[in-house]
Amino acid sequence: MTRLFAIGALVFALAVPRAASAADCDTLGLGTLVYAQVGDTQSNLMKRLGRALRGNTARPLTLVFRTSPSCVNIDQIFLQTPIPAATVMQYVPSTTEDAGWTPASPTLTCTIPAGAGVVPDVANSALFNSACPNGGTTPAHVKTTNGATQAYVFAVPEASTQTAITFEEAYFVFGFGTAGMVTPWNDEAQLFIRALTTSTLLAWAANISVPGPKWKGAQQTGTMGSSLVVSRLASSTSPEKAIGILGAEVYDNERNRLNVLAYRAKGQYAAYYPDSTATSRDKKNVRDGHYTVWSPTVWMDRVNGATPLNADARYIVDLLTSAPTVTPAPNFDMLGIITAGGLVPVCAMRVQRSFEGGPLSLYTPPAGCTCKYERLVDTTSCATCSPTQACTTGVCRDGFCEAP
Amino acid sequence: MKIHRLLFALPLVFAAACGDDGKGAIDAPGTVDAPSDAGPPDASCFTNPTTYNEIINACTTAQKVFKDSHPPLLMPDGLVPPLP
Repeated sequence: MTRLFAIGALVFALAVPRAASAADCDTLGLGTLVYAQVGDTQSNLMKRLGRALRGNTARPLTLVFRTSPSCVNIDQIFLQTPIPAATVMQYVPSTTEDAGWTPASPTLTCTIPAGAGVVPDVANSALFNSACPNGGTTPAHVKTTNGATQAYVFAVPEASTQTAITFEEAYFVFGFGTAGMVTPWNDEAQLFIRALTTSTLLAWAANISVPGPKWKGAQQTGTMGSSLVVSRLASSTSPEKAIGILGAEVYDNERNRLNVLAYRAKGQYAAYYPDSTATSRDKKNVRDGHYTVWSPTVWMDRVNGATPLNADARYIVDLLTSAPTVTPAPNFDMLGIITAGGLVPVCAMRVQRSFEGGPLSLYTPPAGCTCKYERLVDTTSCATCSPTQACTTGVCRDGFCEAP
Repeated sequence: MKIHRLLFALPLVFAAACGDDGKGAIDAPGTVDAPSDAGPPDASCFTNPTTYNEIINACTTAQKVFKDSHPPLLMPDGLVPPLP
Protein backbone atom coordinates (compact mmCIF):
# COMPACT_ATOMS: atom_id res chain seq x y z
CA MET A 1 0.00 0.00 0.00
CA THR A 2 2.83 2.35 0.87
CA ARG A 3 4.28 1.58 -2.53
CA LEU A 4 1.00 2.45 -4.19
CA PHE A 5 0.85 5.80 -2.49
CA ALA A 6 4.48 6.46 -3.38
CA ILE A 7 3.81 5.70 -7.05
CA GLY A 8 0.71 7.85 -6.98
CA ALA A 9 2.58 10.73 -5.42
CA LEU A 10 5.35 10.42 -7.97
CA VAL A 11 2.94 10.43 -10.90
CA PHE A 12 1.06 13.38 -9.45
CA ALA A 13 4.31 15.26 -8.96
CA LEU A 14 5.33 14.63 -12.54
CA ALA A 15 1.99 15.86 -13.80
CA VAL A 16 2.20 19.15 -11.96
CA PRO A 17 3.77 21.98 -13.92
CA ARG A 18 7.32 22.79 -12.89
CA ALA A 19 7.89 26.33 -11.77
CA ALA A 20 10.93 27.27 -13.78
CA SER A 21 10.21 30.93 -13.24
CA ALA A 22 7.60 33.01 -11.52
CA ALA A 23 8.25 35.80 -13.97
CA ASP A 24 5.60 37.46 -16.05
CA CYS A 25 5.05 35.51 -19.23
CA ASP A 26 5.82 38.54 -21.38
CA THR A 27 9.25 39.10 -19.83
CA LEU A 28 10.76 35.72 -20.66
CA GLY A 29 11.63 36.38 -24.27
CA LEU A 30 9.23 33.74 -25.46
CA GLY A 31 8.33 35.52 -28.66
CA THR A 32 4.73 35.88 -29.72
CA LEU A 33 2.42 34.64 -26.98
CA VAL A 34 -1.05 33.20 -27.46
CA TYR A 35 -3.05 32.70 -24.28
CA ALA A 36 -5.35 29.71 -24.09
CA GLN A 37 -7.70 28.29 -21.49
CA VAL A 38 -8.60 24.66 -22.11
CA GLY A 39 -10.13 21.61 -20.48
CA ASP A 40 -7.72 19.41 -18.59
CA THR A 41 -8.47 16.60 -21.02
CA GLN A 42 -6.62 18.69 -23.58
CA SER A 43 -3.34 18.88 -21.65
CA ASN A 44 -1.64 16.25 -23.79
CA LEU A 45 -2.67 18.06 -26.93
CA MET A 46 -1.54 21.44 -25.63
CA LYS A 47 1.87 20.12 -24.68
CA ARG A 48 2.47 18.53 -28.05
CA LEU A 49 1.12 21.45 -30.04
CA GLY A 50 2.94 23.92 -27.81
CA ARG A 51 6.24 22.21 -28.51
CA ALA A 52 5.60 22.12 -32.25
CA LEU A 53 4.56 25.77 -32.39
CA ARG A 54 7.74 26.88 -30.63
CA GLY A 55 9.67 25.40 -33.54
CA ASN A 56 7.25 26.34 -36.30
CA THR A 57 9.72 28.15 -38.52
CA ALA A 58 7.25 30.04 -40.65
CA ARG A 59 5.20 31.24 -37.69
CA PRO A 60 6.79 30.49 -34.30
CA LEU A 61 4.36 30.95 -31.41
CA THR A 62 4.36 30.29 -27.70
CA LEU A 63 1.18 28.73 -26.43
CA VAL A 64 0.63 29.89 -22.86
CA PHE A 65 -2.22 27.94 -21.34
CA ARG A 66 -4.05 26.91 -18.24
CA THR A 67 -6.61 24.19 -17.66
CA SER A 68 -10.06 24.61 -16.17
CA PRO A 69 -13.49 23.03 -16.66
CA SER A 70 -15.09 23.41 -20.07
CA CYS A 71 -18.10 25.39 -18.86
CA VAL A 72 -15.79 27.81 -17.05
CA ASN A 73 -13.80 28.27 -20.25
CA ILE A 74 -16.94 29.05 -22.21
CA ASP A 75 -17.98 31.67 -19.66
CA GLN A 76 -14.49 33.15 -19.67
CA ILE A 77 -14.42 33.93 -23.37
CA PHE A 78 -18.14 34.61 -23.78
CA LEU A 79 -18.00 37.23 -21.01
CA GLN A 80 -14.48 38.32 -21.98
CA THR A 81 -13.35 37.86 -18.41
CA PRO A 82 -9.61 38.40 -17.99
CA ILE A 83 -7.41 35.77 -16.44
CA PRO A 84 -6.23 37.74 -13.39
CA ALA A 85 -2.71 39.10 -13.09
CA ALA A 86 -0.26 36.74 -11.39
CA THR A 87 -2.23 33.65 -12.41
CA VAL A 88 0.17 30.78 -13.02
CA MET A 89 0.15 29.62 -16.65
CA GLN A 90 1.89 26.76 -18.42
CA TYR A 91 4.06 26.63 -21.51
CA VAL A 92 6.59 24.24 -22.99
CA PRO A 93 10.22 24.93 -23.78
CA SER A 94 11.54 25.22 -27.29
CA THR A 95 14.07 22.72 -28.56
CA THR A 96 16.76 25.32 -28.01
CA GLU A 97 15.69 25.85 -24.42
CA ASP A 98 15.42 22.15 -23.59
CA ALA A 99 16.26 19.63 -26.28
CA GLY A 100 15.36 16.71 -24.03
CA TRP A 101 11.84 17.83 -23.21
CA THR A 102 9.08 15.38 -24.12
CA PRO A 103 5.30 15.49 -23.63
CA ALA A 104 5.82 13.29 -20.58
CA SER A 105 7.91 16.05 -19.02
CA PRO A 106 6.32 18.73 -16.85
CA THR A 107 5.46 22.07 -18.35
CA LEU A 108 7.19 25.30 -17.37
CA THR A 109 5.28 28.11 -15.73
CA CYS A 110 5.00 31.84 -15.93
CA THR A 111 2.45 34.31 -14.65
CA ILE A 112 -0.08 36.64 -16.20
CA PRO A 113 1.54 40.09 -16.32
CA ALA A 114 0.62 42.73 -13.80
CA GLY A 115 -2.33 44.88 -14.73
CA ALA A 116 -5.87 44.17 -15.81
CA GLY A 117 -5.24 40.56 -16.70
CA VAL A 118 -5.57 38.81 -20.05
CA VAL A 119 -8.71 37.59 -21.79
CA PRO A 120 -7.81 34.23 -23.31
CA ASP A 121 -7.15 34.39 -27.03
CA VAL A 122 -8.28 30.79 -27.41
CA ALA A 123 -10.75 28.89 -25.27
CA ASN A 124 -11.79 25.27 -25.43
CA SER A 125 -14.66 23.12 -24.32
CA ALA A 126 -14.46 19.39 -24.74
CA LEU A 127 -18.16 18.94 -25.38
CA PHE A 128 -20.97 20.71 -27.19
CA ASN A 129 -21.17 24.20 -25.73
CA SER A 130 -24.92 23.83 -25.43
CA ALA A 131 -24.40 21.25 -22.68
CA CYS A 132 -23.09 24.01 -20.40
CA PRO A 133 -25.50 26.31 -18.56
CA ASN A 134 -24.40 29.46 -20.40
CA GLY A 135 -23.13 27.88 -23.59
CA GLY A 136 -26.29 27.76 -25.65
CA THR A 137 -25.97 31.10 -27.42
CA THR A 138 -22.63 32.19 -28.81
CA PRO A 139 -22.08 35.96 -28.57
CA ALA A 140 -21.17 37.89 -31.70
CA HIS A 141 -17.60 38.46 -30.52
CA VAL A 142 -16.79 34.75 -30.38
CA LYS A 143 -16.28 32.29 -33.20
CA THR A 144 -16.69 28.61 -32.38
CA THR A 145 -15.29 25.79 -34.49
CA ASN A 146 -15.60 22.09 -33.82
CA GLY A 147 -12.40 20.10 -33.75
CA ALA A 148 -11.33 16.54 -33.08
CA THR A 149 -13.42 14.02 -31.19
CA GLN A 150 -12.93 13.42 -27.50
CA ALA A 151 -14.12 10.11 -26.01
CA TYR A 152 -14.92 9.54 -22.35
CA VAL A 153 -14.62 6.32 -20.38
CA PHE A 154 -15.51 4.56 -17.19
CA ALA A 155 -12.27 3.35 -15.65
CA VAL A 156 -11.63 0.91 -12.82
CA PRO A 157 -8.48 -0.10 -10.95
CA GLU A 158 -6.25 -2.71 -12.54
CA ALA A 159 -7.20 -5.08 -9.74
CA SER A 160 -10.92 -4.91 -10.56
CA THR A 161 -12.42 -7.91 -12.36
CA GLN A 162 -15.16 -5.82 -13.99
CA THR A 163 -15.17 -5.59 -17.77
CA ALA A 164 -18.38 -3.79 -18.74
CA ILE A 165 -21.17 -1.53 -17.57
CA THR A 166 -24.58 -0.99 -19.11
CA PHE A 167 -26.60 2.19 -19.52
CA GLU A 168 -29.04 0.94 -16.90
CA GLU A 169 -26.29 0.10 -14.41
CA ALA A 170 -24.63 3.47 -14.89
CA TYR A 171 -27.99 5.20 -14.42
CA PHE A 172 -28.49 3.52 -11.04
CA VAL A 173 -24.87 3.74 -9.91
CA PHE A 174 -24.46 7.46 -10.51
CA GLY A 175 -28.09 8.54 -10.21
CA PHE A 176 -28.92 6.64 -7.02
CA GLY A 177 -25.53 5.94 -5.48
CA THR A 178 -25.54 3.32 -2.78
CA ALA A 179 -29.35 3.15 -2.97
CA GLY A 180 -29.03 1.96 -6.56
CA MET A 181 -27.85 -1.42 -5.26
CA VAL A 182 -25.79 -2.23 -8.33
CA THR A 183 -23.08 -4.68 -7.40
CA PRO A 184 -20.16 -4.05 -7.08
CA TRP A 185 -20.48 -0.27 -7.49
CA ASN A 186 -22.60 0.32 -4.40
CA ASP A 187 -20.26 2.49 -2.33
CA GLU A 188 -20.58 6.20 -3.10
CA ALA A 189 -17.15 6.86 -1.60
CA GLN A 190 -15.70 4.73 -4.40
CA LEU A 191 -17.44 6.60 -7.24
CA PHE A 192 -14.83 9.09 -8.40
CA ILE A 193 -16.50 11.80 -10.42
CA ARG A 194 -15.60 15.27 -11.68
CA ALA A 195 -16.97 18.74 -11.04
CA LEU A 196 -20.33 19.73 -12.51
CA THR A 197 -18.68 22.14 -14.94
CA THR A 198 -16.41 19.58 -16.55
CA SER A 199 -16.89 18.02 -19.95
CA THR A 200 -16.10 14.59 -18.54
CA LEU A 201 -19.06 14.63 -16.17
CA LEU A 202 -21.45 16.46 -18.48
CA ALA A 203 -20.73 14.18 -21.42
CA TRP A 204 -21.43 11.13 -19.30
CA ALA A 205 -24.44 12.90 -17.79
CA ALA A 206 -26.00 13.32 -21.21
CA ASN A 207 -25.26 9.73 -22.16
CA ILE A 208 -26.62 8.02 -19.04
CA SER A 209 -29.55 10.40 -18.51
CA VAL A 210 -28.37 11.57 -15.10
CA PRO A 211 -28.16 15.38 -15.05
CA GLY A 212 -24.96 16.74 -13.51
CA PRO A 213 -26.48 18.04 -10.26
CA LYS A 214 -28.01 14.60 -9.62
CA TRP A 215 -24.74 12.70 -9.69
CA LYS A 216 -23.70 10.69 -6.65
CA GLY A 217 -20.08 10.11 -5.81
CA ALA A 218 -16.89 11.72 -4.59
CA GLN A 219 -16.20 14.82 -6.67
CA GLN A 220 -12.57 15.40 -7.58
CA THR A 221 -12.28 19.12 -8.17
CA GLY A 222 -9.56 21.58 -9.09
CA THR A 223 -7.48 22.03 -12.18
CA MET A 224 -5.99 18.56 -11.77
CA GLY A 225 -9.32 16.76 -11.43
CA SER A 226 -8.51 14.03 -13.93
CA SER A 227 -5.21 13.30 -12.19
CA LEU A 228 -7.06 13.02 -8.90
CA VAL A 229 -9.54 10.53 -10.34
CA VAL A 230 -6.61 8.48 -11.63
CA SER A 231 -4.80 8.50 -8.31
CA ARG A 232 -7.96 7.72 -6.32
CA LEU A 233 -8.72 4.76 -8.55
CA ALA A 234 -5.17 3.47 -8.57
CA SER A 235 -4.85 3.67 -4.80
CA SER A 236 -8.34 2.46 -3.90
CA THR A 237 -8.42 -0.03 -1.07
CA SER A 238 -11.67 -1.40 -2.53
CA PRO A 239 -10.70 -1.88 -6.16
CA GLU A 240 -13.73 -4.00 -7.03
CA LYS A 241 -16.07 -1.23 -5.91
CA ALA A 242 -14.10 1.64 -7.39
CA ILE A 243 -15.10 3.31 -10.65
CA GLY A 244 -14.32 6.71 -12.11
CA ILE A 245 -14.88 8.87 -15.17
CA LEU A 246 -12.03 10.05 -17.37
CA GLY A 247 -11.25 11.37 -20.80
CA ALA A 248 -10.14 8.47 -22.97
CA GLU A 249 -6.77 10.05 -23.63
CA VAL A 250 -6.19 10.38 -19.88
CA TYR A 251 -6.96 6.69 -19.50
CA ASP A 252 -4.70 5.85 -22.43
CA ASN A 253 -1.74 7.20 -20.48
CA GLU A 254 -2.70 5.21 -17.38
CA ARG A 255 -3.31 1.77 -18.84
CA ASN A 256 -0.70 0.22 -16.62
CA ARG A 257 -2.74 1.19 -13.54
CA LEU A 258 -6.35 1.23 -14.74
CA ASN A 259 -8.75 -0.75 -16.91
CA VAL A 260 -11.42 0.69 -19.16
CA LEU A 261 -14.95 -0.70 -19.03
CA ALA A 262 -16.84 -1.57 -22.16
CA TYR A 263 -20.08 0.41 -22.28
CA ARG A 264 -23.45 -0.76 -23.55
CA ALA A 265 -25.63 2.16 -24.55
CA LYS A 266 -29.40 2.11 -24.25
CA GLY A 267 -30.80 -0.14 -26.95
CA GLN A 268 -27.42 -1.70 -27.75
CA TYR A 269 -27.00 -5.47 -27.83
CA ALA A 270 -23.43 -5.63 -26.55
CA ALA A 271 -20.97 -3.45 -24.71
CA TYR A 272 -17.97 -2.02 -26.53
CA TYR A 273 -14.67 -0.45 -25.64
CA PRO A 274 -13.69 2.83 -27.30
CA ASP A 275 -11.09 0.78 -29.15
CA SER A 276 -11.69 -2.40 -31.10
CA THR A 277 -10.36 -4.45 -28.18
CA ALA A 278 -9.56 -3.75 -24.55
CA THR A 279 -5.90 -3.44 -25.40
CA SER A 280 -5.85 -1.70 -28.78
CA ARG A 281 -5.64 2.05 -29.33
CA ASP A 282 -7.49 2.50 -32.60
CA LYS A 283 -10.70 4.20 -31.33
CA LYS A 284 -12.48 2.12 -33.93
CA ASN A 285 -15.71 1.97 -31.98
CA VAL A 286 -15.70 5.72 -31.48
CA ARG A 287 -15.16 6.26 -35.16
CA ASP A 288 -17.91 3.90 -36.34
CA GLY A 289 -20.52 4.53 -33.63
CA HIS A 290 -20.32 1.38 -31.51
CA TYR A 291 -18.94 3.40 -28.60
CA THR A 292 -21.33 6.28 -28.06
CA VAL A 293 -19.75 8.41 -25.35
CA TRP A 294 -17.86 11.12 -27.16
CA SER A 295 -18.03 14.82 -27.86
CA PRO A 296 -16.45 17.24 -30.25
CA THR A 297 -13.76 19.50 -28.94
CA VAL A 298 -14.91 23.07 -29.49
CA TRP A 299 -12.35 25.81 -30.09
CA MET A 300 -13.20 29.45 -29.64
CA ASP A 301 -11.44 32.69 -30.51
CA ARG A 302 -12.57 36.29 -30.45
CA VAL A 303 -13.67 38.17 -33.52
CA ASN A 304 -14.78 41.57 -34.68
CA GLY A 305 -17.38 40.67 -37.24
CA ALA A 306 -15.69 38.11 -39.45
CA THR A 307 -12.19 39.27 -38.56
CA PRO A 308 -10.24 37.50 -35.85
CA LEU A 309 -9.02 39.80 -33.09
CA ASN A 310 -5.80 37.83 -32.92
CA ALA A 311 -4.58 36.29 -36.17
CA ASP A 312 -2.19 34.02 -34.29
CA ALA A 313 -5.04 32.68 -32.19
CA ARG A 314 -7.01 31.96 -35.35
CA TYR A 315 -3.97 30.23 -36.80
CA ILE A 316 -3.92 27.89 -33.82
CA VAL A 317 -7.67 27.29 -34.01
CA ASP A 318 -7.35 26.54 -37.71
CA LEU A 319 -4.68 23.96 -36.93
CA LEU A 320 -6.75 22.39 -34.15
CA THR A 321 -9.86 22.18 -36.29
CA SER A 322 -8.14 20.95 -39.43
CA ALA A 323 -9.13 23.93 -41.54
CA PRO A 324 -8.76 23.17 -45.25
CA THR A 325 -6.13 25.86 -45.61
CA VAL A 326 -3.74 26.92 -42.88
CA THR A 327 -1.35 29.68 -43.88
CA PRO A 328 1.58 29.48 -43.50
CA ALA A 329 1.70 25.72 -43.63
CA PRO A 330 3.20 24.39 -40.38
CA ASN A 331 6.43 22.42 -40.40
CA PHE A 332 4.82 19.63 -38.38
CA ASP A 333 2.11 17.04 -38.90
CA MET A 334 -0.96 18.38 -37.12
CA LEU A 335 -2.92 15.18 -37.68
CA GLY A 336 -0.15 13.33 -35.89
CA ILE A 337 -0.28 15.75 -32.98
CA ILE A 338 -4.07 15.47 -32.66
CA THR A 339 -3.82 11.71 -32.77
CA ALA A 340 -0.96 11.53 -30.30
CA GLY A 341 -3.01 13.80 -28.04
CA GLY A 342 -5.56 11.02 -27.79
CA LEU A 343 -8.22 12.58 -29.99
CA VAL A 344 -9.81 11.34 -33.19
CA PRO A 345 -9.54 13.79 -36.07
CA VAL A 346 -12.87 14.57 -37.70
CA CYS A 347 -11.57 13.24 -41.02
CA ALA A 348 -11.35 9.77 -39.45
CA MET A 349 -14.91 9.79 -38.10
CA ARG A 350 -17.76 7.94 -39.79
CA VAL A 351 -20.51 9.11 -37.45
CA GLN A 352 -21.62 12.47 -36.13
CA ARG A 353 -24.08 13.96 -33.68
CA SER A 354 -25.50 17.44 -33.19
CA PHE A 355 -25.87 17.76 -29.44
CA GLU A 356 -24.42 16.20 -26.32
CA GLY A 357 -25.46 12.58 -26.03
CA GLY A 358 -27.63 12.95 -29.13
CA PRO A 359 -28.29 10.17 -31.63
CA LEU A 360 -25.54 9.27 -34.04
CA SER A 361 -25.92 9.52 -37.78
CA LEU A 362 -23.61 8.49 -40.58
CA TYR A 363 -20.91 10.93 -41.64
CA THR A 364 -18.63 11.11 -44.64
CA PRO A 365 -15.75 13.56 -44.24
CA PRO A 366 -14.89 15.69 -47.25
CA ALA A 367 -11.35 14.31 -47.27
CA GLY A 368 -11.12 11.14 -45.24
CA CYS A 369 -7.99 10.18 -43.30
CA THR A 370 -8.97 6.81 -41.85
CA CYS A 371 -5.96 5.02 -43.33
CA LYS A 372 -3.49 7.58 -42.09
CA TYR A 373 -5.12 7.68 -38.65
CA GLU A 374 -5.01 3.89 -38.35
CA ARG A 375 -1.35 3.89 -39.34
CA LEU A 376 -0.59 6.52 -36.74
CA VAL A 377 -2.20 4.57 -33.91
CA ASP A 378 -1.41 1.05 -35.05
CA THR A 379 -1.48 -0.56 -38.46
CA THR A 380 -3.74 -0.17 -41.44
CA SER A 381 -4.80 -2.58 -44.11
CA CYS A 382 -5.06 0.28 -46.59
CA ALA A 383 -2.94 0.20 -49.70
CA THR A 384 -0.13 2.71 -49.94
CA CYS A 385 0.43 5.03 -52.87
CA SER A 386 2.85 7.60 -54.17
CA PRO A 387 3.22 9.94 -57.16
CA THR A 388 4.52 6.95 -59.11
CA GLN A 389 2.17 4.37 -57.62
CA ALA A 390 -1.49 5.18 -58.15
CA CYS A 391 -4.34 3.69 -56.14
CA THR A 392 -6.37 0.88 -57.65
CA THR A 393 -9.32 2.11 -55.66
CA GLY A 394 -9.75 5.23 -53.60
CA VAL A 395 -7.84 8.48 -53.57
CA CYS A 396 -4.16 8.83 -52.82
CA ARG A 397 -3.86 11.06 -49.78
CA ASP A 398 -0.81 11.31 -47.50
CA GLY A 399 0.56 8.11 -48.95
CA PHE A 400 -2.54 5.98 -48.45
CA CYS A 401 -5.42 5.01 -50.69
CA GLU A 402 -8.23 6.61 -48.74
CA ALA A 403 -11.92 6.23 -49.48
CA PRO A 404 -12.97 8.98 -51.88
CA MET B 1 -5.14 -8.83 -15.75
CA LYS B 2 -5.54 -7.49 -19.25
CA ILE B 3 -4.63 -10.87 -20.76
CA HIS B 4 -7.21 -12.45 -18.48
CA ARG B 5 -9.79 -9.96 -19.73
CA LEU B 6 -8.91 -10.68 -23.32
CA LEU B 7 -9.11 -14.43 -22.86
CA PHE B 8 -12.47 -14.03 -21.20
CA ALA B 9 -13.85 -11.97 -24.03
CA LEU B 10 -12.36 -13.69 -27.07
CA PRO B 11 -14.72 -16.69 -27.08
CA LEU B 12 -17.62 -14.28 -27.04
CA VAL B 13 -16.13 -12.44 -29.95
CA PHE B 14 -15.84 -15.56 -32.05
CA ALA B 15 -19.22 -16.82 -30.94
CA ALA B 16 -21.12 -13.66 -31.58
CA ALA B 17 -19.28 -11.39 -33.94
CA CYS B 18 -20.42 -11.03 -37.48
CA GLY B 19 -17.98 -9.76 -40.04
CA ASP B 20 -17.93 -6.36 -41.61
CA ASP B 21 -18.87 -7.98 -44.89
CA GLY B 22 -22.09 -9.20 -43.35
CA LYS B 23 -21.52 -12.83 -44.34
CA GLY B 24 -23.38 -15.05 -41.96
CA ALA B 25 -25.03 -12.12 -40.33
CA ILE B 26 -28.53 -12.37 -39.02
CA ASP B 27 -29.42 -9.19 -40.76
CA ALA B 28 -32.94 -8.06 -40.30
CA PRO B 29 -33.11 -4.33 -39.80
CA GLY B 30 -36.30 -3.34 -38.14
CA THR B 31 -37.18 -6.84 -37.06
CA VAL B 32 -34.97 -7.13 -34.02
CA ASP B 33 -36.30 -5.68 -30.83
CA ALA B 34 -33.66 -3.76 -28.96
CA PRO B 35 -33.62 -5.10 -25.43
CA SER B 36 -33.64 -2.57 -22.63
CA ASP B 37 -31.68 -5.10 -20.61
CA ALA B 38 -29.04 -7.51 -21.75
CA GLY B 39 -31.06 -10.69 -21.91
CA PRO B 40 -29.39 -13.52 -23.77
CA PRO B 41 -26.51 -12.57 -26.07
CA ASP B 42 -27.92 -11.51 -29.38
CA ALA B 43 -25.74 -11.98 -32.43
CA SER B 44 -28.01 -9.93 -34.65
CA CYS B 45 -26.38 -7.03 -36.36
CA PHE B 46 -26.96 -4.66 -39.23
CA THR B 47 -24.81 -4.77 -42.33
CA ASN B 48 -25.80 -1.45 -43.87
CA PRO B 49 -26.75 0.72 -40.93
CA THR B 50 -28.54 3.99 -41.45
CA THR B 51 -30.50 4.72 -38.28
CA TYR B 52 -29.08 5.28 -34.82
CA ASN B 53 -30.25 1.89 -33.58
CA GLU B 54 -28.66 0.21 -36.58
CA ILE B 55 -25.39 2.15 -36.24
CA ILE B 56 -24.85 1.15 -32.62
CA ASN B 57 -25.72 -2.46 -33.47
CA ALA B 58 -23.92 -2.64 -36.79
CA CYS B 59 -21.91 -5.72 -37.66
CA THR B 60 -18.34 -5.37 -36.53
CA THR B 61 -15.19 -7.34 -35.92
CA ALA B 62 -14.61 -5.38 -32.72
CA GLN B 63 -14.53 -7.16 -29.39
CA LYS B 64 -17.97 -7.43 -27.78
CA VAL B 65 -18.75 -7.86 -24.12
CA PHE B 66 -22.13 -9.35 -23.32
CA LYS B 67 -23.43 -8.67 -19.86
CA ASP B 68 -26.48 -10.23 -18.26
CA SER B 69 -27.40 -7.41 -15.96
CA HIS B 70 -30.51 -6.99 -13.84
CA PRO B 71 -30.22 -3.97 -11.56
CA PRO B 72 -32.60 -4.51 -8.62
CA LEU B 73 -34.42 -1.23 -9.19
CA LEU B 74 -35.05 -1.84 -12.89
CA MET B 75 -38.79 -1.80 -13.55
CA PRO B 76 -40.54 -4.91 -14.89
CA ASP B 77 -40.92 -3.33 -18.31
CA GLY B 78 -37.17 -2.80 -18.47
CA LEU B 79 -37.38 0.94 -18.02
CA VAL B 80 -35.61 2.90 -15.32
CA PRO B 81 -37.53 4.77 -12.62
CA PRO B 82 -37.18 8.55 -12.13
CA LEU B 83 -34.11 9.76 -10.32
CA PRO B 84 -34.50 10.51 -6.61
